[in-house]
Amino acid sequence: MKRIVHAFALICAIVFALSPDPAAAQGAGPLRMKIQGTSGELSPIAVSGLKNLGGDDDHRIGNAFVTTLRRDLELSGYFRIVDPHAYIEDPQSSGFELGQFNFADWKSINADFLVKGSVGAGGPGVKLTAYFYDVASQRRMMGKNYSGDAGDVPRMARRFADAILEAYSGQKGPFDSKLAFVSTGGGRFKEVYTQSIDGQDLFKLTDNPTINLFPSFDRSTDHMLYLSYKSMVPALYLANLKARSEMKITSPHGRVIGGTLSPDGEQIVAAIERDGITNLYLLTRDGAEIRPLTDTQGINVSPAISPDGERMAFTSDRSGTPQIYVMSLAGGAPKRVTFSGDYNTTPAFSPKGDKLAYQSRESGRFDIWTIPIGGGEPTQVTDGNGSNEYPSWSPDGRYLAFSSTRAHNSRIYIMMVSNRKIISALTEGNGNDSCPAWSGWLGE
Amino acid sequence: MIPVQRGRGGWVNSRATLAKAMAIVGVGLMLMVAGCSSKKPAPVVDTNPNPNQLNEHGSGSSTTNDDWINGTIGKGGPLSDIHFGYNDYTIQEQDGSVLKSNASWLQAHPQTRVQVEGYCDERGSEEYNIALGAKRAQAGKDYLATLGISDSRMSTISYGKELPLCQDHDESCWAQNRRDHFMVSK
Repeated sequence: MKRIVHAFALICAIVFALSPDPAAAQGAGPLRMKIQGTSGELSPIAVSGLKNLGGDDDHRIGNAFVTTLRRDLELSGYFRIVDPHAYIEDPQSSGFELGQFNFADWKSINADFLVKGSVGAGGPGVKLTAYFYDVASQRRMMGKNYSGDAGDVPRMARRFADAILEAYSGQKGPFDSKLAFVSTGGGRFKEVYTQSIDGQDLFKLTDNPTINLFPSFDRSTDHMLYLSYKSMVPALYLANLKARSEMKITSPHGRVIGGTLSPDGEQIVAAIERDGITNLYLLTRDGAEIRPLTDTQGINVSPAISPDGERMAFTSDRSGTPQIYVMSLAGGAPKRVTFSGDYNTTPAFSPKGDKLAYQSRESGRFDIWTIPIGGGEPTQVTDGNGSNEYPSWSPDGRYLAFSSTRAHNSRIYIMMVSNRKIISALTEGNGNDSCPAWSGWLGE
Repeated sequence: MIPVQRGRGGWVNSRATLAKAMAIVGVGLMLMVAGCSSKKPAPVVDTNPNPNQLNEHGSGSSTTNDDWINGTIGKGGPLSDIHFGYNDYTIQEQDGSVLKSNASWLQAHPQTRVQVEGYCDERGSEEYNIALGAKRAQAGKDYLATLGISDSRMSTISYGKELPLCQDHDESCWAQNRRDHFMVSK
């Protein structure tokens, strides 16, 4: 019976995860944190409430969309939300199509951009329409129709945020995706969690009283690889997130102490230690060996696989200090990429595959840097505030998630790579958060 | 044995058969239809009744779940720790006498086994530090071997920077955390 209760609780958890209800589930709503940046550079945008076309009399569905969209637009680093208390127009009595409302009501509160829309619920589910308007030119820039369950509404908002970024900047946004990270949750153990980028749907993936580290997704976000001490010795586990099952990855070569999953989910590069020597091996997703990749008497760790699955970047101490190398997964000689600094590690390929982000030590703490994968001039990304570690790219390549101790406890932050002032915390709580992994887009 | 997830989180290696697991999910679905929105799922601790059975290739650990829960990993016991320099795994001269004394104790207690545990300070990446801790554990084990302790009585494990003895962020604390601990078991 106990098992039945647990299974029952799990199914409830899934339902909760798909149906975030900010009013009922306290703490499940979007995070409200200050954006650290110069708001003067941000475009003021008003996100109006959705007009209820029936079935959303308490505006819960409309609010779920608006709240999520506002948070994502704030995180984007392009927009500042005009205070909703200043909105003159009542969305329920005005229209949302071009010509059905007065742009002057929005110009007068200094909104340069505007989102309006409608929601209808009942029968087969939710139908939602949203438009992105340029207030100055009184132009409709983009519009979308969505349909689905009430629980899908936050995702509709994330996809609309991604579409707004495309209309505004020419490049689709990254918010319809997941963040995995490791957190102590205020205790002594480290567990793997997932959440949306805007902080909703926090889900504790592992729950064992040990240490769990290094989550990595495949491109489909169907699988996650992570390291755990739950069998008392470190081992990799490949979790099937849809089937909610997992497989332990071990090796006859020694003890598996780290690794990463390839973007297609078919291969693993594992760091395997024997007699104090750690080398990297290419394995199938079932853990069968394809080939050894490195062969030194020292340390070879922190593998990252390129988006095309052809190459890996990794950290090796073969030069005497930890430095980053790139090599073909088909084998061959690694090429050293980093030459400045005496401790460079945790490389991550940009989605285009042209750059690596990594952490570099200076004065006992780390900053995030980027460098072309063929080597060259490194570019400092973080600003020397706290120790900044473990970069992970957004699927559009515009942002990096990383851990930082800038506000004492270690948290996961988002930063726009092209504008180092745009930084916001993505996680909160009283624990220490580390090892972020930003998934690919979740797809249709 | 198939792994299933229970509760709000936590992957559990269940001994349930596939059919049984399917039945559980089926019952859960029926209960869900009956209205689960009022129930709050509770986290379930992922316990592992026979940890050593899961350690393939003879690479087991004498650490137990109780050691994790009670926070006793890397603490206490009859043997003394040795310490290392920053990002270094060579045995320091002053630790030679500590290792000799540890070896004497092990020779006087031939029924015991020792797990050499490598630890690192908080600076550096998690994965690199696990590899560095493995180097430190191996260095401690190799030294004990030169003092006549049989390889078959010794094992190693690295906890990297994950289980610091001292929690402060300064050199005196870091120096305490760069160490080998020698855990004795029967």
